[in-house]
Amino acid sequence: MTTSAGFARRPTPTTGLSYDERRAYLFLTPLAAVLMGIAVFPILYSFYVSLYSIKLTRPQRAPFVWLDNYVVVLSDPQFWGAVERTVIFSVIAVAAILVLALLVALLLNEEFPGRRVLSALLLIPWAIPYVANALMWKWIYDSNYGALNGILYQLDFIDTYMVWLGDADKTLALIANAFVWKEVPLAAILLLVGLKTIPADLYSAAKVDGANVVKRFLHVTLPALGPSFALVLIYETMMAIRHFDLFFILTEGGPGDASHVVAWRIYVETFRNLSFGTGAAMSYILALATLALSYVFIRALAQRVTT
Amino acid sequence: MTGNLSRRSFLKSTAAVGLGCAAELGGIARAPAAEIINFATWSAAVDTVKSHLAAFEAKTGIKVNYSNLPWAQYRETMITKFVGNAPIDTLWVSDSWLPEWADAGWLVPIDQYKTLTAYNADASDFCNQSMIYKGRQYGLTYYTDYMGFIYDNELLQKAGIASPPTTWAEVADQAKTVKSKGLSEWPVLISLAQETWLIEFLSAMVFSHGGRFVDDNGNAVMQDGGALSALRWLVDAVHKHKILSPSCVETGELAGLKTFSSGQHAFGLIPKYRLRTLNDPSQSQIAGRAMLALMPQGEGGSHATVGWMRFYGMTPRAQADTTRAENTVKLIEWFGGKADGEYRFQKLLFKDVGAAFGVKSLFNDPEMREAYKAYGDVDLIGKQQALARKKDVISPWFGEWNDVNGASWQQAVLGKVTPEQALKTSAAKWAELKKQS
Repeated sequence: MTTSAGFARRPTPTTGLSYDERRAYLFLTPLAAVLMGIAVFPILYSFYVSLYSIKLTRPQRAPFVWLDNYVVVLSDPQFWGAVERTVIFSVIAVAAILVLALLVALLLNEEFPGRRVLSALLLIPWAIPYVANALMWKWIYDSNYGALNGILYQLDFIDTYMVWLGDADKTLALIANAFVWKEVPLAAILLLVGLKTIPADLYSAAKVDGANVVKRFLHVTLPALGPSFALVLIYETMMAIRHFDLFFILTEGGPGDASHVVAWRIYVETFRNLSFGTGAAMSYILALATLALSYVFIRALAQRVTT
Repeated sequence: MTGNLSRRSFLKSTAAVGLGCAAELGGIARAPAAEIINFATWSAAVDTVKSHLAAFEAKTGIKVNYSNLPWAQYRETMITKFVGNAPIDTLWVSDSWLPEWADAGWLVPIDQYKTLTAYNADASDFCNQSMIYKGRQYGLTYYTDYMGFIYDNELLQKAGIASPPTTWAEVADQAKTVKSKGLSEWPVLISLAQETWLIEFLSAMVFSHGGRFVDDNGNAVMQDGGALSALRWLVDAVHKHKILSPSCVETGELAGLKTFSSGQHAFGLIPKYRLRTLNDPSQSQIAGRAMLALMPQGEGGSHATVGWMRFYGMTPRAQADTTRAENTVKLIEWFGGKADGEYRFQKLLFKDVGAAFGVKSLFNDPEMREAYKAYGDVDLIGKQQALARKKDVISPWFGEWNDVNGASWQQAVLGKVTPEQALKTSAAKWAELKKQS
């Protein structure tokens, strides 16, 4: 055994790889080839496309323009307007998700009658496809026959039907609300898992030291939830920044440009204007921004953990 | 030998092999393709199209490969097919796409086929104009319609209004009367959601106010004149008179139709063919009450409205082969012209789905007059159609400009910018895109 194992692990003089390593590479090759085809190649190809002025309605002319598409996008005031709205939407949505998900997770972490039923019900929004969710909210928000106006009117909160999505000042907040409703369950489950991993001894020790409920929450629960919070924060931020479905179905970017977020602009540029070059450039900028933001979050968390 | 194989010679030889294979495959594909005509449409009146196709195949012996796609994805899908050289010989085309598709070389003029252009004399003027680009005609009518001014006669009677308005000022006055009597919260319906219909609603407003978006030389003139008057009227209707709901910017054509058919409005800009739905008791609560009036005129304007059309276009692929071209022309005429001596498909479309026609003589056809009589005044309908004009903004950059223009009008209606600012933005975008092209 020793002999064969020793023989297997011995590097070959030509490749410098042991038999096990070569076999591992051999087995990984099909998967790597598939990943190259369906992930790496499209990513690289989209970068290649972003260097050309490709417009599908002008098929005869697609000049190589170096980084001009990036310059065009970054010098477009409408793009920066979309960035601003994306940031506003993401901050509203992610902040609301974190708060609500924490409250739900804390509730579900307690023992009470009906907890299991509530847990199951909580999953319903998460299980609804995004498009179905968006259509549901479109009906709720409709200014003429929507459920929201109906309820508020019957409860005497309003005298006349309100304009919801058509009011540019409310649009982003209302879309964020629909996004939060869908995302809170998953975030709550992730935080609940974090809560379950906090040792009961910590709470017992805090009680012995005279810490009340608030202090135990601030000094035990919250610090211990740090990694779960970071996970939710990064995931939901990425989801919010890239989100498209609700904007497409609820407002199509309107009214005016009130819900023109970056993802919507990418769609319009790529699939309506059929300008694949600038569309790909915008997509790359969005992807790089998302990656950079995630890196910052992870670094900040790592620093907190080490300190 | 291997050592002498340069990168360039390798590329040349592989390209030659590739071209050879492509030529072979093309040859294989051409043989049956000379017999089968490929016909693409969006998914409308599918059964009617199929039955008319079956009659064509039975009569001519020409086989047709028919495919259809949802309207919402039609333009993008067809462009992708064109770029990918998918086999298409004839297809439905919207007037909005003509410059884009003609410039790209995906459509070819049909004016050398006299059997097709012979129908021009019997077509409404705006229909012929809508199919002409750079002096060449690119198709034959499939369906056409215009934006109508429709009112709820019963609501007007209840408000003590004897006759429908003839000017936009009267629309505002009558709407205020209807509102003051508690008959309607928002008496006017104009759907201004950012969707494909928006340009038709805006064009109807602009044309009836005597304005234009673009002049005959293709320069933006929307920043003043009738376009500005039209936008000011809309802004006043929302903010000053409160006769048009601010939610108009989120109301699409279909949603607007639903609210109008539920009796919530007295006046509406609605595609004329919806008259049939509005007066159908199974689909509308105001059946028998919806009536067409001539488009109100703005100050210095006229009763003009906007017309749109869809037509049968022909691809270079069809024209490349004489037999294929002849067969394609026969198919186009069978649908867009006369079949067995009569405009059979237009009649079928009108009777089956209420789709309007651009053929003037059909307004005098007893059968069609009888069918129209059930829900509209056929003479008035014909009179308004004669006043319809084609959209003046149709250009290769129409799609890109349309997004900005729609957003600008919405912002003005919401009170975020002034009408002057909105139209200045729209005009600047037009000039920028025109310059780029």
